Amino acid sequence: MNAAGRQADPIAEYEAALTAVLHGPGGEKARMIEELWDGLADTAEAHVDEGESYERAARLAVREFGTVEEIAPVCQRELTIAQARHTARTVILIAPFLVACWYLARTSGLPGTAWQLPRTAQSLAVHLAAVAIAAALLAASTLAATGTLARRLPTPRRLPLVVAWAGTTTSVTMAVATLALAVAAALATDWPLLALAGALSAASHAVVASSARASRRCARLAVA
Amino acid sequence: MKTDAVRGHLDGLLLAVLEPGPLHGYAIIAAVQNRSGGVLELRTGTIYPALNRLERVGLLSSSWESAGERRRRCYELTEEGRRTLAGERTAWDEFTTAIGSVLNPSTPPGLPT
Repeated sequence: MNAAGRQADPIAEYEAALTAVLHGPGGEKARMIEELWDGLADTAEAHVDEGESYERAARLAVREFGTVEEIAPVCQRELTIAQARHTARTVILIAPFLVACWYLARTSGLPGTAWQLPRTAQSLAVHLAAVAIAAALLAASTLAATGTLARRLPTPRRLPLVVAWAGTTTSVTMAVATLALAVAAALATDWPLLALAGALSAASHAVVASSARASRRCARLAVA
Repeated sequence: MKTDAVRGHLDGLLLAVLEPGPLHGYAIIAAVQNRSGGVLELRTGTIYPALNRLERVGLLSSSWESAGERRRRCYELTEEGRRTLAGERTAWDEFTTAIGSVLNPSTPPGLPT
């Protein structure tokens, strides 16, 4: 089918409209759109088998499916939860690394060595590590609440937004950790290990910040 | 029967039509409509996110299968899905018995007729 013909196809228009309004993890969104397109194509084929022209069959399939305004919120809810679970898994994986980074920064200048992390920074390290642990626990609870627990308990509507902000908090603590490790690497004698931890911390910050940003966007769409 | 009336029972309907074996989305919709004799009206587009949700909570599993040039996502019941379906049936039987007893008081349950 040429570009003009595809543009006029009600199923292609429907697919394009849904693709434009839905947001979520790339793979999940692509699979959902593919499955919806497949369902529309099957419905249209069934109408063609009953003797309708393709154009009319495609219009009937779209009508039976429901309008984009009716279907998009239901699909977006699933994609928002998928994004929240993605962010939760990222936080769970990164939080122990963050705690390890702070431990490394805190112990890099033990008594007897040439340099010590300032006392204020050591206190900040403890607090931010506690924040990371709390975020990881919240993330684990989210995975349970949107997984098997959801069979019996309704998923709170604002949970994806809470996870999004937990991810954002983790990403900020990763940024602070990166800065602290960079300063520590510049001042300490055992700098290669600190520099490596700082680089990994920066990469982790980028990963969790990106996922948290996507979660915030999805959560706003689902709550709106 | 209108879409709103069906919504509260959608999970049970989807689990029930998947009991005999795996089906893809359109076949699931067709099975619901065939079993109901065309009485149940569904916004068919809402079936797909519902199937995704049932898979997320572990009541269904899915796999992609090739069908010519296309790929189709086929769903099947998990063991937990079968247990949940049995529970849905029991709850539905109790509900319809109770409502039936109120609507048709001539034969109250538990009393000799």
